[in-house]
Amino acid sequence: MLRPRPNLAVIIGALLGLGGLAAIVLSTPGLVSDALGVSLSLSAPARAMLIVAAASLAVVVVFAPERAERSRLLGFGLAGLAGMTAIAVAPTLDVVILILLALVVLQAAAPAARPFSRRVRAPAFAVAMLAAGLVLTRLAGPSLLERFGAVGLVAGLVAAVGALPYMHEFDAEESTAASPIPWAAFIGPVLAVTIVMRARELFPSAAGAFGAMLIGLGLLNMIWGCLAAWRTEADVSAWRYSFSGDWGLALCGFGLALPEAQGAAVLILSSVLLARLPLYLWSRQALRDKVQTDRPLNLLVAAVLAGSAPFLGFGARILLLHSATALYWPLALVIATSLLLWVPSSLRLGRSLGRPKGPQLVGIVLVLAVNVALGIFPQPLLLLPGQ
Amino acid sequence: MTEALAFAAWLGAALVVLSDGRRGLALGLGLVGAALAGLALATSHQLGGIALLAGGLVAAGLRLRGGPESWGLMEPGSTPRIILTVVTGLFSLWIAVTVATGDQASLRFAVLAVLGLGGARVLQAREQAASMTAISSLALALGAAAAFTGGDPGLTPYVIAAAIAAAGSALSPAQRIGT
Repeated sequence: MLRPRPNLAVIIGALLGLGGLAAIVLSTPGLVSDALGVSLSLSAPARAMLIVAAASLAVVVVFAPERAERSRLLGFGLAGLAGMTAIAVAPTLDVVILILLALVVLQAAAPAARPFSRRVRAPAFAVAMLAAGLVLTRLAGPSLLERFGAVGLVAGLVAAVGALPYMHEFDAEESTAASPIPWAAFIGPVLAVTIVMRARELFPSAAGAFGAMLIGLGLLNMIWGCLAAWRTEADVSAWRYSFSGDWGLALCGFGLALPEAQGAAVLILSSVLLARLPLYLWSRQALRDKVQTDRPLNLLVAAVLAGSAPFLGFGARILLLHSATALYWPLALVIATSLLLWVPSSLRLGRSLGRPKGPQLVGIVLVLAVNVALGIFPQPLLLLPGQ
Repeated sequence: MTEALAFAAWLGAALVVLSDGRRGLALGLGLVGAALAGLALATSHQLGGIALLAGGLVAAGLRLRGGPESWGLMEPGSTPRIILTVVTGLFSLWIAVTVATGDQASLRFAVLAVLGLGGARVLQAREQAASMTAISSLALALGAAAAFTGGDPGLTPYVIAAAIAAAGSALSPAQRIGT
């Protein structure tokens, strides 16, 4: 009915989205509601990620990339946001994984270039790993089972967001909604926060092993993601790998299990949502046209992506280094060294943005301004998840 | 009785792995749904068991509508898949019976076997029918796994699992764009 009237569809979608966002903002974290006959509760970090994801969607829809239909962007975004909210409020981890499976099926139903079975492969395998991990942690028996369960949950989480060693298959010509990018940069942050928080309660005796695996995979993604983003041939693949680099930092933050490190992980995932995702979407036309420029704006964008001062990523990296130093200083040394790898890859990605104009240019300036503001004063973001 | 149901669940999941035709996939999915529902009923989750049974049977029925029109059972080149079904079954049996302790060994074995074989099938499938059948079997196993929660899991996980299993089979082939 609304297909011939895209503007009306956008207005109705925006109103519905704003209503949902208002409900999330006004919700009290931790409060359990039984109004629907199911115990629903929203944790503070998941609520923070939902609000940031909604802000990211709003920026992308208002300053829509060239050749992108606002109504389709909003439709896919709201569907994702609804799924993410369901994940965040789900009563148990079983239900979280089932909702993830429903999202996998829904995304795979969208028209795309790759065959269905190839698109569904990695995320559905992630669901199988998460489910196996969850079942193993719940079985009575030796602590070995909890450790096996921790392996399953970590592997499933990393496979769900498409980080190394479970990179999702990527087709540069595919629409973003049907590509693996939503798993890495839109649904992934809420999913990761939810799974990590709930997993820690499942296996207290294997919490150390869980954290160690997250840190190990985090380092792998940091180093390999940045190196690949720098050295890979295609610019679009460089963007894909850069998401893995950021996930490396976030996984390290989750693995360190200190409140400060958790705050760092939330800030890094916020920077993925508020900077890397919109910038990637705005760069797609320039990537197709193979336009590269070295203007001051491109350098500023490179600085945002590299997490340099005074942008949002800088504060996150400082918090992460501080936590790593407090826990085990050689780890901080490795992280600090690997942070240098962000510079060449970010310069490359900044150039690939081309010469943005019109709404894209306004959007990029807005993203830069928001990242400076949150970089100088990250307290609102840190207070949202209760750090 | 529960041992037979657990074996039926493994057999159903093995059929999903070994079949490429709609009839074989539907039979496998139906077996998985019925066996897991029976195990849920045996662990005093009556409503959950009914939901799983309904989801499994509807999914199996809908599966008959799409996919290659044959049984497609153990076609040439299936040896690795046969080995996979046996190894996954033995590994699940080892975890469920030898490593883990307590009641519900049959349910443990069935859930682990279906999850393992469903995950493997998703990785290896080339056709939408096989992928979606594997996803439906994963959903049913996840629903049955709700019985492992310490307290009463309620009806929610069973109903969601059944709905996903049915929706997975109802999904029309996605339109392909480009090459």
